[in-house]
Amino acid sequence: MSFEQVFSLTVSGVTVGMIYALIALGYTMVYGVLEFINFAHGEVFTFGGIMAAVVLGWTGVSDAMPIWLRVVCLGGALVAAVLATVGLGLAIERLAYRPLRGRSRIIPLLAAIGVSITLQQLMILVFGPDSIIVPPSVVPAQFVTLFGSRIRVLAFIIIGVSLLLMLGLTYIVRSTRIGKAMRATSQDIEAAQMMGIETNHVIAFTFAVGSGLAAVGGLLVTMYYGSIRFDSGYIYGLKAFTAAVLGGIGNIPGAVVGSLILGLAETYGVGLNLGLLMWFFVAGLAAGLYFQLVRAPKRRLKHIREEDRTPAYEREIMRLYLLAPVYAVRVALAKRTDALMAVSARHALQLTLGNVFLAVMAIVFFLNGHAQIDPQWQNVIAFAVMMIILLFRPSGLLGEHSQEKV
Amino acid sequence: MAKSGDKKRGPIATALGRVPRWVYLTAALVLAVLFPLLHSAGLMDMLWIRVAIRSLTFVLLALGLNVVMGETGLLNLGYVAFFAIGAYTTALLSSPSLGFHWSFWPLLVLSMVFAMLAGLLVGLPTLRLRGDYLAIVTLAFGEIVRTVFLNVTSITNGAAGIPAIYTPNIFGWVVTEPPQFYYLILFFVVVVVIALTNVKNSRVGRAWNALREDEIAAIHSGIDATRAKILAMVISAGVAGLAGCLFAYYQSFINPTYFLFMQSVIVVCMVVLGGMGSIPGAVIGAIVLDSLPDVIRATFSDWLPRVFGPTFMASWPAWLQSFFTDFEKYRLLLFGIVVVLVVIFRPEGLLPDTLWRSETHEEDPREQEYTRQTLFDIDEGNQDLEA
Repeated sequence: MSFEQVFSLTVSGVTVGMIYALIALGYTMVYGVLEFINFAHGEVFTFGGIMAAVVLGWTGVSDAMPIWLRVVCLGGALVAAVLATVGLGLAIERLAYRPLRGRSRIIPLLAAIGVSITLQQLMILVFGPDSIIVPPSVVPAQFVTLFGSRIRVLAFIIIGVSLLLMLGLTYIVRSTRIGKAMRATSQDIEAAQMMGIETNHVIAFTFAVGSGLAAVGGLLVTMYYGSIRFDSGYIYGLKAFTAAVLGGIGNIPGAVVGSLILGLAETYGVGLNLGLLMWFFVAGLAAGLYFQLVRAPKRRLKHIREEDRTPAYEREIMRLYLLAPVYAVRVALAKRTDALMAVSARHALQLTLGNVFLAVMAIVFFLNGHAQIDPQWQNVIAFAVMMIILLFRPSGLLGEHSQEKV
Repeated sequence: MAKSGDKKRGPIATALGRVPRWVYLTAALVLAVLFPLLHSAGLMDMLWIRVAIRSLTFVLLALGLNVVMGETGLLNLGYVAFFAIGAYTTALLSSPSLGFHWSFWPLLVLSMVFAMLAGLLVGLPTLRLRGDYLAIVTLAFGEIVRTVFLNVTSITNGAAGIPAIYTPNIFGWVVTEPPQFYYLILFFVVVVVIALTNVKNSRVGRAWNALREDEIAAIHSGIDATRAKILAMVISAGVAGLAGCLFAYYQSFINPTYFLFMQSVIVVCMVVLGGMGSIPGAVIGAIVLDSLPDVIRATFSDWLPRVFGPTFMASWPAWLQSFFTDFEKYRLLLFGIVVVLVVIFRPEGLLPDTLWRSETHEEDPREQEYTRQTLFDIDEGNQDLEA
């Protein structure tokens, strides 16, 4: 495996990750404000992509046009797609979600699922069940050679556009009045209302921004792959949601970080052979062992009550993390248990199981060093990443540990 | 159980409410048993028996999903995975593809056991998650299961699927014809309804309802939340495994396209339409949603032309004609719109569960009081607050 290959994989991983990020931002912002998964966001993204493709088709761009006219067509398609998608996002929010505000968690999610199916079926009816193909002349097929690998110019355009949009979003959220209102609303919607913030406007604005970003993502995906279909949004939406969860849902930088990690994990996963992937597990195992043997016991030691704090007891806790299974059995068999010991034994056992899993994976990958993962498993990689993250750190990588609101 | 809600209902609803419940149940059962006789009498096409079998399979799925989604308030968007596990268990062990030929009862049990194990596997780590995270994790689980069945070609034969599943032989009764399958599935529907009704009215069922209404209050009343949730997950997975086993036998051919994410969503729609937490609701919701497209298509392409003459639609615009005669195309659209409308305008569903109604319409404090009393004061004998 050469450096060139790794480099080109990295670029395509970052490209895919940036597209995920554009969608993931919509999920994460809405979740931040309303604590609800906008399940229909994937369809909003598809709608943006389809609108862009359709408008590009109308303008009739071709190679015969001068370059500035092609850029104008592309810009027109972008504006049309963004406007239409923002309108759609606002309409969904107004018609389907606003009447349900304040209901228990499961109800708005069900409405979102219903909206998602409805939109998908409407797109089939209006645009047909086949892929909509973008005129190839719009998509610059130029390549540049960088560090010995050929990379599509479009990849850099995608990365650049996404970065610009994210900077813009950061500016809006950090430094404008409406951004301040958004942050206030996401902290506590009732308190924000009492402070005179029009929370309904803020929520609508959040939906609009999320939908606009998704529309740009749709346009970029359509250009990158050359076509889009009514059900493209399902898998993109799911992966973007995964990315948002990975980074800590409700957290805007988290969504970007999570998307990049997910994009890279996917492309590395199917692009590298197992021998190289093994090193990821080895690194994970090293981190896991460090956590189990050094960090976790140290944290535990802080919980010892003052009157129990003897060197023998401290050593016991340290040993517990070293020999987790033994202690788990001992604690399970004991008639009377020390609460701290019991909790620690369970925690240590979980950590050990996680590390054993990583070690087994590393060995399996080492033994099959030359094989590669079939691209068909790419989605499974994303979902497995999500399940693991949710199980071990549901608040995500950058999220704060949050207690569920009572 | 005199409900204060009575005075808000219309006269017809009140009158219907006065009829004892067993009358409805007996009538439904008699109708269901007599249904295939319409075909024997030559009054009905075999198509409708097939539709009924499909609907009953969905009834089983809706009943099972209702346990987690309706009773316990956990949204499972990968429910079809358990269905798939049951179906593949049966298909692999009772077809020439791997050379096994197990008989019906062991396979039925095994399908359920495997589905339940999968439920346990998903449930153990995930049930501590918040409701919406759980929905996504189960969705991912469903996709993973389908991808595995699709890609482990050496066992499952991939996208081509498993053909030629043997017909079941139940104590010498060989089930081959659709009417026989109809009775077989109907039998299991009745068994599952009885079993789930009993569970619902037991301590476990009340614990589920309490968790749905207010998890924190439930935990502080001494309910072991994790145990109750896992039990719900496992039971519902078992019902899906049972449905999968019957489905595989009936289809005699399965492949991964039967187990798409959309199937899970359809079952969710059925439970929502019928009324979350309501067993009759799940049954009615599944039957209505599953058979409605066929009924609409048949009404406009077969029944109405017989009554009004074959050209009664000729003056209608073409798109309206094709809308009704090709209604199958709009099936999923109908489902999506139905869910949104039901959730907004009638969140308790068509046949609501008493307790859920009190939750969704909060204006009546007395009904809420009833909920509190029934759910949260039941555990006086059990002061185990450690859970």
